[in-house]
Amino acid sequence: MRLIQALLVFTVLLPVFSLWPIPRSLQTGTSFLKLSSGFDISLDLNNVPSDLSDAASRSLAHIRSDKLERLTVGRGANDAKAISSAPSISRLSVSLSKGATIRPIAQEAVQPLGKRSEGYSLIVPADGTQATLTANSTLGLLRGLTTFEQLWYTLGDTVYTFQAPVKIINDTPAYPYRGLMLDTSRNFFAVADIKRTLDAMSMVKMSMFHWHVTDSQSFPLEIPGFTDIAQKGTYSTTQLYSTSDVQDIVSYAGQRGIDVLMEIDMPSHSGSISAAHPEHVACPQATPWSSFAAEPPSGQLRLASPATVNFTASMLTAIAKTLPSTLFSTGGDELNDNCYAQDSPTQAELKALNQTLEQALDTFMKAAHKSLIDLGKTPVVSEEMVLDYNITLANQTLVLVWISAQNATAVAAKNFHIIYAPSDYFFLDCGAGAWIGNDPSGNSWCDPFKTWQKAYTFDPLANIPAQKTSLILGGQQLLWSEQSSPENVDPIVWPRAASSAEVFWTGPTLPDGTPLSVETALPRLHDIRYRMVQRGIKAIALQPQWCALRPGACDG
Amino acid sequence: MKLSTFVVLSVLAGASPTFALWPIPQQITTGTTPLRLSSGFSIKLSGIKNAPTDLNDAVSRTKGFLQNDKLQALVPDRGASSAGAVKGAKTIKSLTLSLTSGEATKSIAEEAVAEIGTRSEGYTLTIPADGSDATLQANSTLGLFRGLTTFSQLWYDLSGTTYTLEAPIHVVDAPAYPYRGFMLDTARNFFPVEDIKRTLDAMSWVKINTLHWHVVDSQSFPLVVPGFTELSAKGAYSPSSIYSPSDVKDIVQYAAQRGIDVLAEIDTPGHTSVISKAFPEHIACPEASPWAQFANGNATTNFTASLLSSASTLFSSKLFSTGGDEINANCYTQDGPTQDDLTKQGKTFEQALDTFTQVTHAALKKAGKTAVVWEEMVLDHTVTLANDTIVMVWISSTDAASVAAKGFRLVHAPSDYFYLDCGGGGWVGNNINGNSWCDPFKTWQKAYSFNPTANMTDEQSKLVLGGQQLLWTEQSGPSNLDPIVWPRAAASAELFWSGPGGDVAKALPRLHDVAYRFVQRGVRAISLQPEWCALRAGACDLDA
Repeated sequence: MRLIQALLVFTVLLPVFSLWPIPRSLQTGTSFLKLSSGFDISLDLNNVPSDLSDAASRSLAHIRSDKLERLTVGRGANDAKAISSAPSISRLSVSLSKGATIRPIAQEAVQPLGKRSEGYSLIVPADGTQATLTANSTLGLLRGLTTFEQLWYTLGDTVYTFQAPVKIINDTPAYPYRGLMLDTSRNFFAVADIKRTLDAMSMVKMSMFHWHVTDSQSFPLEIPGFTDIAQKGTYSTTQLYSTSDVQDIVSYAGQRGIDVLMEIDMPSHSGSISAAHPEHVACPQATPWSSFAAEPPSGQLRLASPATVNFTASMLTAIAKTLPSTLFSTGGDELNDNCYAQDSPTQAELKALNQTLEQALDTFMKAAHKSLIDLGKTPVVSEEMVLDYNITLANQTLVLVWISAQNATAVAAKNFHIIYAPSDYFFLDCGAGAWIGNDPSGNSWCDPFKTWQKAYTFDPLANIPAQKTSLILGGQQLLWSEQSSPENVDPIVWPRAASSAEVFWTGPTLPDGTPLSVETALPRLHDIRYRMVQRGIKAIALQPQWCALRPGACDG
Repeated sequence: MKLSTFVVLSVLAGASPTFALWPIPQQITTGTTPLRLSSGFSIKLSGIKNAPTDLNDAVSRTKGFLQNDKLQALVPDRGASSAGAVKGAKTIKSLTLSLTSGEATKSIAEEAVAEIGTRSEGYTLTIPADGSDATLQANSTLGLFRGLTTFSQLWYDLSGTTYTLEAPIHVVDAPAYPYRGFMLDTARNFFPVEDIKRTLDAMSWVKINTLHWHVVDSQSFPLVVPGFTELSAKGAYSPSSIYSPSDVKDIVQYAAQRGIDVLAEIDTPGHTSVISKAFPEHIACPEASPWAQFANGNATTNFTASLLSSASTLFSSKLFSTGGDEINANCYTQDGPTQDDLTKQGKTFEQALDTFTQVTHAALKKAGKTAVVWEEMVLDHTVTLANDTIVMVWISSTDAASVAAKGFRLVHAPSDYFYLDCGGGGWVGNNINGNSWCDPFKTWQKAYSFNPTANMTDEQSKLVLGGQQLLWTEQSGPSNLDPIVWPRAAASAELFWSGPGGDVAKALPRLHDVAYRFVQRGVRAISLQPEWCALRAGACDLDA
């Protein structure tokens, strides 16, 4: 029932190699190789950090429990004979390069962007002799283990690959920032949902979890010394990230090679602070909401108030100092001028200070960022802070480009480092219709739905002058959760968000030197999707299973 | 100060009754007295002789919901400020069910599959404010079941106490339309029996009464049809991705016990290429372009008639759909055997289709079934159909008036209002800028604002049996079944139960309630809005 007529033409069946993101160097053969029943991963290094041995244990478990059958007609039944006579591999030897420092994965994962060592080399011989994985860091070993896990299929009780030997030499990411953003304010996500999401992110070698933890709708983050904000600003006492929850999430992420970039969006998107601190918030829940905010409810920090500036800076210090990441985001999108124009205290302060709103914003942001910089953190902001306001930002500030991918050009012209998060490619919530009530013909503001193909064809260097390309740190797909909650987080995110993970790991070309293409990507994306489902992540079917079993048959 | 006043006002507005019923009853009066369920609350049958097992089971499930829903009121403090009122409230000890005739002549399951238009789904529910027993009366066990469903939605939880703030409550209810459905496609991607059962549960909670089961299609044939088992053996995605006759029996019975009739569809002659796996001689242009063969002489026609006869015996419904959408003429033009047969018989394509349809529908009639077809069979082809044939309108809502003008009964299933898959982007492979063919996404608000009798005369309007939202599953599977369907599919359930013309602003708070209650019952309905909005009725409306 589709009213379209796809030409269902069989293309030559290409090997459906399941790796995602595809390594930057990759050679494979056509031999069958099976895993021996006593297969083990041997950590051949001294003083193995516990998170590395945990990672190896998880890999062993995944290889056994994935039970993913090949995505081909017959689901691998035709491989039975070749498998029966295939050699068996019984060992993967894992080691660090000579002279490498041994540190926990979690410690490597939170190094400053650009200083992380994620590369690895993996050799899986076809004759059953031991496979070897080497890297310069435990983080690189984690990435290599992740690749190794994806090599295997199951037929009956046998775990096997059909593409031995496998040779991957120094697979290292094109960009250090490969992320996913989750908004836990519009709707709340339990710690278990976040951990499951981190697991899925780790499967596709993402390195950053951008946690948009608070907004005007709710403030579920418990901040030491500022606990009243969450107590009064969250939806309920059970919808709260306690200090220990935050530490739990951050360490869980770190052990999986993921740095947590927390964001407390300001001075806009702060209405939820008003429940505990009405004195710091202008236009809380004002009506009509459309005059005061991009969406209901409104509320912005009183940026011109010295007391509010101090409060904000102290709050940022209090939370940022509990986090290992070197990055912290203060957001800064969608500032509403009318909110301040209608707020008498703000107008009085501006008059007393003899400042414009922009000057007050400058003071506010300087104080906010000073609290972060004093802790050794690098501030992250939304593009408006650079493009729409004449304020002073530290040179090292990172900028999230979200309104349009094209705006990266202007941000680069100002010499700021860029994280791509463009709504026209990467917003996962687009296309689900209007969520505002009493609006029967309303549509999603960023319609249409951003398909995986759209995200996959994103070019990070389009419109970036050659001498500025080093400003590009990577990018991320994003889930704003007005219409999302634990009930649909998996299907709305996966496998789509894997698109940018490959774009920013693999870069513009496949290992054979040809450009990335949606044709060759789709069978692999089906593969990672079916593997995610096997691991309990409710990733959606991108196509009828008929298509998933026949690479190319449902291309246009 | 001025702004704080706004805040107070919006909170008060949110505290106005957010009555949780969905679909909203035809007649309802409520009071403002708090009332709570006693800890030993019971549901009794009064004077119902030979109470069927499925009625007793429905009573047990209702008691389970009353105990386990634990849904807090959707207000900012989740009901905490009502603690005093709830604590001092009278308690209600029981609900008593009775039938007008005294005796249960049929089980819920039997009533649910009765001829469409003859089912009795109405009920009267009275809950006094003084703590005396509540009563539920109906003319049939099916009506009692609908009343129990209403009763289970009246209650909120506050620290273990189950209460309402709106006693006394009096409901007199019956549906506006007899067909309130949901369609699921289990061929593009497969859904295990448990997913279908969970969906049936959810459907019953909003009084949907028909599962339109698009069970097979070109992509796969998961239905095991007695005598034609090669079809599923070769055409299912895997040996485990099938519906055995016992699975079907299980689903049909589970549905009927929940007041739901299962309308099965074997879509012919298009959408059948998977049959070629077992019977290549009956399919034209399989897979090169997946559309079926029907015109190569009597063999295929008889094969299809036998297949339908056999498949129809698996289902207790009086209805059976032979589909008939998207027949691809080019498939037949390019198919040598079809062209040879047409020449041999001296028939046009349309004449052959007519013969095919008459024979297959005759087989269904012989099996006691009324045929259901997609609109093309009436609007695009010149085939003879029995007068009682039911037509599903899917291409556009504007086609309904044309179908009615031809005198056929119809079910609304229009893509421009009711397709749940729209807006998911293009699913065809290497199509970077491909969009959903029926973009944009059809919101619950869009579906809710559908007018079932637009451009029809009063006489034609009587031909409207109802309608349904539909999930085609090119981009769906068990992973996203719940979130893509719920609570959106409840929109048409209310439209066709309560009647059209509802106000989306008034409906939204109740629909939030549905979604939150579904989640409490284990159905992963999505959040329609930020929770902030769900707790403040009206605060996130366009004009708020």
